[in-house]
Amino acid sequence: MVEKTKKKSRLFDYFQVKEEQYAGGLSWCAGCPLELALRDVPKVLGKNIVMVGCPCCSAPILYGQNVGTWHKMTYYSTLMTGVASSATGISRYYQKTGNDATVVCWTGDGCAADVGFQPLSGAAERNEKIIYICYDNEGYMNTGIQRSSTTPLGASTTTTPVGKIGRGKPTVSKNLPMVMLMHQPVYMATATLSHLEDFFKKLQKAQQKSKEGFVYLHLFCPCPTGWRVESSMSIEVCRAAVRTNYFPLWEAEDGKPRITVEVAQPKPITEFTKLMRKFSHLKEADLAALQEEVNRRFALLKTLCDAAKEGEKSAVQS
Amino acid sequence: MVIKHKFLFETEGAWSDANKSLLCMDTGSWRTERPVLDQAKCNYCGLCALYCPPQCMVDKGDHYESNLAYCKGCGVCAHECPRGALTMVSEGEFAHES
Amino acid sequence: MKAKKGQTRVMTGNAAAAYAAMLCRPDIATSYPITPMSEVAEQLSTFHADGVLDAEMVEVEGENSAMNVVAAASAAGGRAFTATSSWGLVFMYDALLHAAGFRVPVVMAIANRETPGILAVSSGQQDIIATRDSGWIQIIVENDQEILDQIIMAFRLAEDYDIQLPVMVNYDGYYLSYLAEAVEIPRIEDVDQFLAPLKSQPPRPKLQPGQPIGCGTHGIDIGFMELRYKHCQALQRALKKVDEIDAEFKDYFGRGYGGQIEEYRTEDADIIIVTSGGTAGTTRAVVDAKRVQGVKVGLVKLRMFRPFPRERLIKALKGRKAIGVIDRSVSFGWAAGPIYTELRALLPEIGPTPLLSYIDGLASMDITTPHIERVVDEVKGAAQGKPYQEVTWIPLE
Repeated sequence: MVEKTKKKSRLFDYFQVKEEQYAGGLSWCAGCPLELALRDVPKVLGKNIVMVGCPCCSAPILYGQNVGTWHKMTYYSTLMTGVASSATGISRYYQKTGNDATVVCWTGDGCAADVGFQPLSGAAERNEKIIYICYDNEGYMNTGIQRSSTTPLGASTTTTPVGKIGRGKPTVSKNLPMVMLMHQPVYMATATLSHLEDFFKKLQKAQQKSKEGFVYLHLFCPCPTGWRVESSMSIEVCRAAVRTNYFPLWEAEDGKPRITVEVAQPKPITEFTKLMRKFSHLKEADLAALQEEVNRRFALLKTLCDAAKEGEKSAVQS
Repeated sequence: MVIKHKFLFETEGAWSDANKSLLCMDTGSWRTERPVLDQAKCNYCGLCALYCPPQCMVDKGDHYESNLAYCKGCGVCAHECPRGALTMVSEGEFAHES
Repeated sequence: MKAKKGQTRVMTGNAAAAYAAMLCRPDIATSYPITPMSEVAEQLSTFHADGVLDAEMVEVEGENSAMNVVAAASAAGGRAFTATSSWGLVFMYDALLHAAGFRVPVVMAIANRETPGILAVSSGQQDIIATRDSGWIQIIVENDQEILDQIIMAFRLAEDYDIQLPVMVNYDGYYLSYLAEAVEIPRIEDVDQFLAPLKSQPPRPKLQPGQPIGCGTHGIDIGFMELRYKHCQALQRALKKVDEIDAEFKDYFGRGYGGQIEEYRTEDADIIIVTSGGTAGTTRAVVDAKRVQGVKVGLVKLRMFRPFPRERLIKALKGRKAIGVIDRSVSFGWAAGPIYTELRALLPEIGPTPLLSYIDGLASMDITTPHIERVVDEVKGAAQGKPYQEVTWIPLE
């Protein structure tokens, strides 16, 4: 008989609200990390929030159907072009009227990196007091697995399919977290669902920092359906992404990044790509190109983190 | 014009209200397999409950059990359990249950 | 008149729009520059910087955001204002549909300008036509005082519990936006009084964090149809409401504009000229001149374009011998003016009256008195049974 732990995992302590804010049965695919992420959001952030959403994989749940809804949160639905701007309007009005609710944007990569990027960039530059969370499943999944600008090099999607000529997406993904870093938000972070404590801590910090200005969270959120991953492996894919440096976990205050989960010995990218069939057509040369891209990006991040550390040191010294 | 339809919305615009209607889907019917716990191996770490995407793990005081009304049978809990205490078993094995 | 006389200043139409918005104490206003209304944004920003306007000012990065910001702020419970023109208006088209469909009472000033399709930095009403099916209330004004007065009335109309619809106040870009006229600025206390009845009405729904209500649910089947129906009915209620509010405004401030339409010397008119905006002013002068010559001509100035003032137009136009419509835009697919094509829908009720379409004033080409005199002469000819051309593009012919 195994010895039981004396008390519940400390991770449950991050839940301000213990009761489930959603209905028990929701239409997300089995194993979808987005379901886990979105169910956790009100538990960690509490009830004094307004969710601003747009068409994406979360829309069928975040939006109601006629008078009915699938959850108990306050929400405002808009189009992809209107998320950051609508959140701005709500946040500004609440500031004027002394309402301390947290305004949370919840969008996919298709909105944040593509069609909704302009308002996101504008809101970030104006330092609007909102939390903008982009869950990145590397494609337009809700409409049937089409490619977006965060779809990685070589990935097979329904609009970059593998055929006689087509070999998946021919261009590298837009490094959206880095782009947002250049906006120097008050706080930003990358997070994923395998590293829950890291995610919860960042959510809490996001809420706190959103009282000062713009907060951006980039959530790595694999799509078991679109990437062709076993439903049971969806969290493992998150973990592999971190362990191969494909998706490093970092945060930045005022544009100064630091890595939050150090990976001592990063695994080769094949440890990640082997878990899904969207890369199964890639040859050695393709995988090498992907590995090089991963290395290049991580090196850039590392350089910026080191520079930030140096900056802190010299600031302390002077 | 005589409107026979009884208005669904009290509002002029498209406002929903969970107090009036909280929807729910029968996701339990999706399952082709369900997690089965070997209590001898479980140390109540809670990772199955924390990682369960539909958050349907119910705290039983010294272990967790999935709420079969909503469990989609994804298998994340079984994969994430550090002690291999959960096994995914085909629904066929439980066909005799009502 | 109940209000005290306000200060009279010389100002442009854009400035009048900004003054009006400021007087109504909006909670939030967005700004994005576009010729010919950039001055509205500048004036509002100046008011804000001087502490005269206590509103959240958001200098957005594009007009699409300009509308989304105010629509959401309105859904959260705030009073919201923005302004734009032509290309900006069409760039915010999805947000425009949102604001109307969500039934949020945003007020927007539009300095009308030609919409793209042909690059034009000049006046025209194509932007009104490009957005006529957005579900918004659209009103067109004739001079700077009317801009100011109508924006105040627009808040009263939009936020009325029976209406709950966004309102566009349209004025001629260039001709009014940049034209400086003497404008009486009502005192803010009097504007507060005029808008006060809104406070005693039932509250409209709004976002309340912590409450499980949401704005923007999916419309499914009959639910969708119900919401569309309610929207259409609200637009119809706006017809009478605009007349009521205009009467209240006249009673309070001493200035009235007729509501849905203004009729000028139509009582005994044989022929009527229908037009909108600044052109109505020029037409007034031509009507007076022609009357001196014995021509029994009258003017119907169309103020409300959406909803379309069906009943009042039928009443004003019924039994006339001929009607001429001057449009400053085109109706693609009809090769005629849009107000003209919509009036044609009323012919069964108006009678078998010759209806003549005139297209003029595109791209800031002046609609001069000789143009309008020609219109009157041709409509008079039609009234006398002479053959007439259905559609005339005045500058081209």
